Amino acid sequence: MIGYYISLALRSLRSTPILSALMVAAIAVGVGAAMTTLTLNYMMSRNALAEKNEVLYAVQLDSWSATNGVDNSSEMPWQVTYQDAVRLLRSDIPSNQVAMHRWGGPITLENSEIRPFIADARVTSRDFFALFDVPFIYGGTWTAEADNNPVQQIVLSEKTNDRLFGGENSVGRSVNFNGAAFTVVGVTEHWQPSPKVHDLNNGHFNDSAEIFLPFGLHRQFEIYPWGNTNGWKSEEINSYEDRLNSDMVWLQYWVQLDSAEQVERYGDFLTGYIREQKAQGRFPRPLKFGLSHPSEWLTLNEVVDGDDRMLSWLSLAFLLVCLVNAVALLLAKFLRKAPEAGVRRALGASRQSVFSQHLVESGCVGLAGGLVGILLTLAGLGLIRQLQMGYMDRVAAMDWAMMLAAIGLAVLSSLLAGLYPAWRISRTNPSIYLKTQ
Amino acid sequence: MLKMHNIRKSYRTDTIETHALRDFSLEVDEGEFVSVTGPSGSGKTTFLNIAGLLETPTGGEYRLDGEDVSNLNDRQRSRLRNEKIGFIFQGFNLIPDLNLFDNIDVPLRYRGFNAKERKKRIEKVLDQVGLSARAKHLPAQLSGGQQQRVAIARALAGEPRFLLADEPTGNLDSLMARQVMELLEFINEWGTTIVMVTHDPDLARRAHRNIQIVDGQVSDLHRATAPATAEIA
Repeated sequence: MIGYYISLALRSLRSTPILSALMVAAIAVGVGAAMTTLTLNYMMSRNALAEKNEVLYAVQLDSWSATNGVDNSSEMPWQVTYQDAVRLLRSDIPSNQVAMHRWGGPITLENSEIRPFIADARVTSRDFFALFDVPFIYGGTWTAEADNNPVQQIVLSEKTNDRLFGGENSVGRSVNFNGAAFTVVGVTEHWQPSPKVHDLNNGHFNDSAEIFLPFGLHRQFEIYPWGNTNGWKSEEINSYEDRLNSDMVWLQYWVQLDSAEQVERYGDFLTGYIREQKAQGRFPRPLKFGLSHPSEWLTLNEVVDGDDRMLSWLSLAFLLVCLVNAVALLLAKFLRKAPEAGVRRALGASRQSVFSQHLVESGCVGLAGGLVGILLTLAGLGLIRQLQMGYMDRVAAMDWAMMLAAIGLAVLSSLLAGLYPAWRISRTNPSIYLKTQ
Repeated sequence: MLKMHNIRKSYRTDTIETHALRDFSLEVDEGEFVSVTGPSGSGKTTFLNIAGLLETPTGGEYRLDGEDVSNLNDRQRSRLRNEKIGFIFQGFNLIPDLNLFDNIDVPLRYRGFNAKERKKRIEKVLDQVGLSARAKHLPAQLSGGQQQRVAIARALAGEPRFLLADEPTGNLDSLMARQVMELLEFINEWGTTIVMVTHDPDLARRAHRNIQIVDGQVSDLHRATAPATAEIA
């Protein structure tokens, strides 16, 4: 009977085009508003590392002051100190581990007409590419030696390689960065996780790095990170070495632990490490460390903040208002057709049949509303992209999952809106209409 | 075919209780053509609605084709209505958006027949009422008499054993009324039991039996003096 009900619904919608259009519009506007904000929230809270979510961990060490909190939302610092990072890198437990931070500087080619430009860099240990599954177009990462010693090798992003070498294989070629010559060892494919899970300290949705440099370059170039550096105590810093040995936190640390046994062993390792540091007068607070999966890391860092959530609730409240309108319109339409329902009852339709027929009609209104709602959502997201916030291109976009969600929300909403009108029409006394028609 | 015993039906508002039928008893045998007359407000339509399972009586016993229908739920009553009862109304009650074919299709859909069976039955009844050529027309494109013939075709498509007609000629001129009446007589000759409410004494006399309802009760029963004759219009 469902096919019959659908054909009746389409016929009914065609017979009252203005009323039908109003109902579809009511659903579409509500769905469009709701899906615009829900899509933003969905895209903002999307886990770009979902495929490796269960084996990746952001590492936190509670090296902070015994008396002062880090900030209002976290008990532990988000980043680690250089000295801790260097010592953690010595562990052979993780399958991959990365200590890294943001940097940057002018880059150009020797004897080239290409004008120098400022490149956003990531100084990192070599496991970065394996841990985050960053694919290479040409070459690969630098040698293991480069994590501990100054080796002037560089990995370019696809975009930078296009800009400097016109997209050619640049492995073995030389680039000039910050006044020093670096040999290109690899070129990565375009890699832009959004949100930027691997480094939420420097903009949740900022562009990914344009070049990648080995971790062992710190002392040679006296690298001061671009991005957040936090400290909690007054430290006398007279040299770069003092800075490297300070309790200031400025590096992100990630590990890949593929088994529960690895996780347990690494936990023991961190416990032992903190105890060792405590013995040397560091880590004044009770022993604590954090190992957070990417999904947990996104939540901890409140990538979707309270205002975004509030906006979603408001848009859902607006959808509710639209639904109330849809209920009124559906009621008006259905009651206008009460005589036909009376005839159908006389001809053998049960109350349930009449109810189902009208609920299917509500569902058809919802389906049409969902399709129009998707167009309104796309328009809404387009409007948001016009706000000129760079990362909005990546966030204010609708994928297939959200399109299906829009249809689902619209159909579900219209079915809910249709419940009462369909129930009312199924309970009317047919004999009233049969006599008066 | 139909057996009502001490049927009561009352409508209640906050302040008033109206008795539409009071201790209403009637038996209609299989194959009978019974006309029902009475003044306006006497309870004719209430009787017809209860007989057609569109309303439930306040009290009393009603057996249709030997089955006690008093305690059936909505789904069972609807199925019984669909399978055993055909309705013809004064206002035709065709669905304006549907063409003749689809109008006649309605009860067959609820019966669960497949498309082939439905088509066969629809074409057969349209042929019987002489409107085969108009199958794709909308009701509004037909005369009143033609619309009533479509309504009769729709009532007959499910091959009901019991036909309830509520002033079937009330909206028709005399020529059309005669044609419709002859059609009903023809249907009755083929074995369908018919109960027809009418205000027209001439039509009432053409039935096998006439009952008169006054103040919600059967006041009089008349046997027809001569058997009705019929030929298809």
